Amino acid sequence: MNKDERRTALVTGGGKGVGAGIVRVLAKAGIRCCINCNANPDMAEQLLASVRASGGEAFVYRADVSDPDQVRAMVEAVIARYGRLDILVNNAALQKNKYIDEYDEPSLRMLFDVNLGGYWRCAKACVPYLRQSPAGRIINICSVHSKRPTCFDAGYSMTKGAIRQLTRELSLELYADHITVNAINLGGCAIEFKTGHPSFPGRRPNGTHNPVDVDPGRRNVPEDVGNAVLYLCSEQAQALTGDSVRLDRGLVLI
Amino acid sequence: MEPKTILITDLRTRAARDAADDLRTAGYNVVCVPESVCLWQEASLEAFAGPLAPTLYAVLHPAPPITQCGFEEVTEEQFARARDEGPLAAWCVAKVLGGILREKGTGVMIFLGSIHAEKPVGRGFLYSAGCGAVQMLQREFNQDYGTCGVRSYYIQRGVFRGDPDAKSDVSEFYFGQDLRMPERKLPEQGSLNGLIRFLLTPEAAILSGSDLRADGGLVMYYGERGTPQNRKGRQSNEQG
Repeated sequence: MNKDERRTALVTGGGKGVGAGIVRVLAKAGIRCCINCNANPDMAEQLLASVRASGGEAFVYRADVSDPDQVRAMVEAVIARYGRLDILVNNAALQKNKYIDEYDEPSLRMLFDVNLGGYWRCAKACVPYLRQSPAGRIINICSVHSKRPTCFDAGYSMTKGAIRQLTRELSLELYADHITVNAINLGGCAIEFKTGHPSFPGRRPNGTHNPVDVDPGRRNVPEDVGNAVLYLCSEQAQALTGDSVRLDRGLVLI
Repeated sequence: MEPKTILITDLRTRAARDAADDLRTAGYNVVCVPESVCLWQEASLEAFAGPLAPTLYAVLHPAPPITQCGFEEVTEEQFARARDEGPLAAWCVAKVLGGILREKGTGVMIFLGSIHAEKPVGRGFLYSAGCGAVQMLQREFNQDYGTCGVRSYYIQRGVFRGDPDAKSDVSEFYFGQDLRMPERKLPEQGSLNGLIRFLLTPEAAILSGSDLRADGGLVMYYGERGTPQNRKGRQSNEQG
């Protein structure tokens, strides 16, 4: 295949955890990746080395998705390097693990600026290039907590409820451009570490537990998410838009 | 016996003003938050609500008026404004006013939201994303504050006769709605008041934590048949 015909993806928060699993799967499938990172550039560089060692093509770009100028510069860097952009995977997000009364104005504002604002800014910056792709794709990594409350992080589930609606609105606005927009409602996933303090810090009713702690077999690995993303990027998924795929090994069932 | 106090946080919408009038008629002491109080600043809301604590029984928090703008045209300033007026204000209301109710071990929190917490507007992501966020806030509130005796509800208000028109070139949802209603007419303004009064009664406890869709059946209509723009998209897609 001519190198320039290879599809290109931008994966935000791609340097670790779920994002790294997505990058590994996409790169293995021959899709060139821009690995966006912010707080953990060393982990992104380690991922890049392993992708290249496996024959994949990628580069790391450090940018804060809450800053519109940095987002625009990142997308321009993808175009400058690969000449095209076909897939946006919005994944960069914060999880503070705070109850309603533990949040304050700055911390909740920051959560919305990254989790919702970051998805919107990246979509806005990428869409002019996705329109030029024969099959543009936006995949928003969302959560089962866009429907079911967390009982440990009100702000997180608020932003995920918002992303559920962002996905549906974008699917309407971009339908005529043949760009599909979908979400993955992710359940528990085994990753290196999370951004907030440990979940379930004590206000849940006695005797209740995080279900994925009770049954580790119900916990995804990042490559599970990558496989779902790869499907949503495929030709076979062209009819799927404005939808959400629940990826929780049958735990929530709503 | 002193009448129960209902605090209404925002009177900019017709639904909120109708509810205020109705609840006064029903004998409640209705207090409305003045515009000088910033709903998304804890200190501002605390200073206003503190003196009301002894008689505060319920809070009605209406969603801000609907706004529309394509996601590519939305500016950073518009995003920040919608974030503060929608999710941030609702969280602040839940924390400050819900906190008062939690201290008392009883009370009701009603988020008067919109069907757009689930159904997209069509070029209106700022509004529907805000509604989706507040819908999830209510569910979290119910899990947390509900164990302390505070009931909560999210009302998905539909389109009522006389509402400001919303228009979309990417969705037919706002086209010919009265013809698509099972009763062939939009609900009248004020027809939501009975539901709000019911939710304030102890008999509504079994519904605590619920989303209550009050739209006369509109959302159930299979409505995304495709606008001219979308139909064109489909044809060229088939040819491609």
